[in-house]
Amino acid sequence: MPRIRTFRQELPPLALTAVLLAALVGLYSGDNFTLNILATTFLFAGLATAWNILGGFGGQFSLCHGVFFAEGAYLTANMVLGAGLSPWWSLAPAAGLAAATAVLISWPAFRLRGPFFAIATMTFSEVVLVLANYFESITGGPQGMRVPFRPGWQNMIFTGRIAYAWLMLGFLLLALIVSLVLLRSRLGYYLQAVRDNEAAAEASGIDVLRTKLMAFAISAAVTGVGGSLFVMYVRIVDPPTLLTLSDVGVRFALIALIGGVGTGYGPLFGALLVVPLEAWLRAELGAYAPGSNLVVLGAVLVLAALFFKRGLVGAFQSLPLPARWTGRLART
Amino acid sequence: MSATFLSLQGVSKRFLGLLAVDEVSFDVAAGELLSVIGPNGAGKTTLFNLLTGQLSPSAGRVVFNGVDINGQPPQARARIGFGRTFQMSQTLTSLSVLENAMIGSFLHHRHISAAADHAYASLELVGLQHRANITAGELTLSERRRLEVARALALDPKVVLLDEVMAGLNQTEVQGMVDLVRTLNGGGLTFLVIEHNLKVVRQFSHRVVVLDRGAKLAEGSAEEVLANPAVIEAYIGKSKQ
Repeated sequence: MPRIRTFRQELPPLALTAVLLAALVGLYSGDNFTLNILATTFLFAGLATAWNILGGFGGQFSLCHGVFFAEGAYLTANMVLGAGLSPWWSLAPAAGLAAATAVLISWPAFRLRGPFFAIATMTFSEVVLVLANYFESITGGPQGMRVPFRPGWQNMIFTGRIAYAWLMLGFLLLALIVSLVLLRSRLGYYLQAVRDNEAAAEASGIDVLRTKLMAFAISAAVTGVGGSLFVMYVRIVDPPTLLTLSDVGVRFALIALIGGVGTGYGPLFGALLVVPLEAWLRAELGAYAPGSNLVVLGAVLVLAALFFKRGLVGAFQSLPLPARWTGRLART
Repeated sequence: MSATFLSLQGVSKRFLGLLAVDEVSFDVAAGELLSVIGPNGAGKTTLFNLLTGQLSPSAGRVVFNGVDINGQPPQARARIGFGRTFQMSQTLTSLSVLENAMIGSFLHHRHISAAADHAYASLELVGLQHRANITAGELTLSERRRLEVARALALDPKVVLLDEVMAGLNQTEVQGMVDLVRTLNGGGLTFLVIEHNLKVVRQFSHRVVVLDRGAKLAEGSAEEVLANPAVIEAYIGKSKQ
């Protein structure tokens, strides 16, 4: 008889993931350096998971997710600095603004397919970077925006680094839940059908544009929330931090690709490898020979591209292990 | 008076200088099993694409249950009851066999478990239920063709268009497919079939439409059409006398 995974069956592995990551935070609770790395790792794991909804399940290689990230960050900074509101109130509007932007750019962008869609979204991201430098009243221009250090729950600013690790873990779990609910829903199947074959999807009654658009909006909404949390974490942002392709838009995609694009947990594994490795290389090598950390990181990425074509998750699946174990990580 | 089930009225399709379908008209009755035959390049697949909305006609109308559906995209036509397979099989290779069929059954079954049950039932119809949990990319060509039929059937269609589903199947499989089409047709489902295997065409068609160079050459029972000198000429050329 049919054997189809439902979201309910995703709950035990999700709970296990949450416990393991929480244990990691607990283990390093006294170590601010590691806690910072963990917070950044969880944030980028969540962002890559959000990217993977459109880029992985839907096969639409967006490079403008930095725009949604920046929107969240600027909206939160403005609500906090301008209106004196608690940043917690800015999370839902950030998600809404990012989703609305995604819908708007979908209309022209989804007329393009494959690499052309990627180039169009990349261009959009670059245009927004220029605009962000120009509209100083919203973004603070090239000087950026600074959120003053006023610790407190309602300000989402904490003296201990561990609070940020918990906050980012919460964001990661939110992204994973959204992604897994979607993967096990009709929309998730429709997205994969669109990725595999648009003609077959249309002939099966799927509105291809609507399917892509909904995935884009959901993916953007989660990314916007990530931007809001990021600005409260670093408390100083400028256009290059939020919109440089190699640091933001492309990085989400890269992390997902290394971990295993189109899989539920791939982006998390990618972030667990890439983000701490980057931080460690910067700390260990950056001091001796500036830039050498990037050389090593580049080499690791090349090796990953050569030997883990289906990402870490794909490599794990191809190990000669019982299907019962590997199946846990698999898409189905 | 009830409207004709499906009607093509002077349908043409021009690709720049090439007239691929040239003013073709015929009606299909509900519950009919109609074969479309013709030499390679006759415009059979183009005609199917005009019927299911992958292409829109340069002239003429496609009327379904009294409604002109010319402007409707493929997904809208799937919703009103068109199911189809493709000549080049369009399997969703990263999904499992069951999930491929589910893509069809989701049209009328929103919930995962209902869609899965319904999809499994259509896999049973084509005899692929034992392959349900493997990745569709691992299927053989003949299994892929059967899977496409299952996906089309999972849509609960009113009319099914099969584009050379018998190609690449061995004799036993062909007979299985013929039996399946006959059974479903016996249950009232309308079929339009593009088929090169004339033995099959003779065996199950109620009526046959012959296309040659885009235009309708003949129409009638299989016996009539296949005895028609013009049809024989189109297929094997003029005899030297």
